Amino acid sequence: MKAIDSILLSKIYHGGKNPALDRVSLAVDTGQIFTLLGRNGAGKTTFLRIAATQLSPTSGSILVLGSDVKHSPQNIRRNVAAVPQEGNTIGPLTPWDHVYLALLARGMSRTEARRRARDTLERMELADYQDQPADTLSGGLRQRIRVAMAVATDAELVFLDEPTLGLDAISRRRVWTVLKDLCKEGRTILLTTHYIDEAEILSNKVAIVNSGRLITSGTPSELLSKVEERVRVDLSGSKFSEEEVGTYGRPIKVAERWRVFTDNVRAGELTQEAVRRGSEVSVAPVSLEDLFVELVGREEEEC
Amino acid sequence: MLAAKQVRSAVVIGYMLSITWIRRNLLSLVWLFATPFSILFIITVTTRGQAFVQGVIGSLLLVLVTVGTGLAGDGAWYRLEVKLLDYFIASPVHQIGFLLGIALAGLFFTTPALLVLIPLLVYLGLSLASLPLALLAVGMVWLFSSAIGYTVSTYVRNLRNGWQSGLALSVIVGILPPSFYPAELLPTNLLWLAYLLPTTHAVLLLRVLMGQTVNLSGWSPLLGWIMLTGLLLVSLFATSRAARWRQT
Repeated sequence: MKAIDSILLSKIYHGGKNPALDRVSLAVDTGQIFTLLGRNGAGKTTFLRIAATQLSPTSGSILVLGSDVKHSPQNIRRNVAAVPQEGNTIGPLTPWDHVYLALLARGMSRTEARRRARDTLERMELADYQDQPADTLSGGLRQRIRVAMAVATDAELVFLDEPTLGLDAISRRRVWTVLKDLCKEGRTILLTTHYIDEAEILSNKVAIVNSGRLITSGTPSELLSKVEERVRVDLSGSKFSEEEVGTYGRPIKVAERWRVFTDNVRAGELTQEAVRRGSEVSVAPVSLEDLFVELVGREEEEC
Repeated sequence: MLAAKQVRSAVVIGYMLSITWIRRNLLSLVWLFATPFSILFIITVTTRGQAFVQGVIGSLLLVLVTVGTGLAGDGAWYRLEVKLLDYFIASPVHQIGFLLGIALAGLFFTTPALLVLIPLLVYLGLSLASLPLALLAVGMVWLFSSAIGYTVSTYVRNLRNGWQSGLALSVIVGILPPSFYPAELLPTNLLWLAYLLPTTHAVLLLRVLMGQTVNLSGWSPLLGWIMLTGLLLVSLFATSRAARWRQT
């Protein structure tokens, strides 16, 4: 079953010339973590806000949990929760107040809200701070409180708009674990991020958007299979000319170093040559980031 | 059932955004407490105590109007800064539940002022039998002001405009109408304008409930209640149509 199914979904904001979202058709299966990946202003948040019933579309259609976003938003709202992008916590309210009272306001019983708040604050490693006013906590802890407010609900579908923005590496991994756990419970997550490693590690499926358009979508491995080369070789120093590295594969210049996309055999040959010339060299499998840079870069060149 | 759930949500939101806040930050009560009493002080001194009763009525209404129209700023803060609106849109909470919640939160902040002003009105001649009607009249003004303030908050693009709009509305609804001075002093053409604001009718009704005579041609307590109810219904209808829950 599809948690989200959009067909030719478009959005043009009042006073805007270009569409923020341009005929996007995509489907999100239930029980999955689906990530919208894109640059700032790519249209990720616009798609998420329309699906979360926070924003009206200009044209196209979108069904969320089987209900039409335009005509039956109330059916959807009963079963979703959202963490908006770049919000804030409320002054002197504690993490406990934020989570527990938000659950009560959503209509949960006190017993259930108390149990879920306690459990979520522990899972988000906020239990030690649960009675401290939010305005005395760090930005990262406050962001975790906001994520906890959505994660603690019993919503079937959770929208998370850049949930790990501003979090340190350890906290990000903590949030990832909690999201994976939600997914195991059968809940669906629509996530936006511009952290490519996050998309690669967390997602069952990824959609890359740019300038309001869907460029491609699929599982991380499906997306990676679209890249012809399997390996990338990074060479530092300028001991190779473009012509020379070009004989081993497809080179691009990245901050005064060559990155060469190639196959395993030629990667070995290039590595040996680099060692012989005294260049620093590293070899790694092609990543989603490489695909992202290639696809988005190509798209922008075409524009 | 649905309505009961929304009322519960409203009470929780009201508690969340006021009591929890007040418990840890008593300073947040000062301004709403000080403003009406400072005006009351000036009026009492300048009229040598003759306009004290009128001043108390005006202060009571002003504090409720201020907190209601102040939603233009508070609501904008919850929408633009905290993003609480987006959180609750994607939830079972309806717009009316959210509106009532933040309006109740505002009301809680006025509690210290109300705890002084309402007993003062009783002390000054409002009978306990008339108290429910008096509370109904001022409550309607509060709801009217909250509806307008909230509606404005869903449109403003930045917080500064939100606070400014709230203050401007507070002057129009709370200070300019004949709440701190007798309506009889207004020229007829301005009086007709004042009749378009619920504050005017609430003040006149409170005066009647306190046993004062209102000498205004064309106005009667019945007309006052009708106008007060009508204006409240119009504001609620306008809010239900105009306030933006889902952004377009």
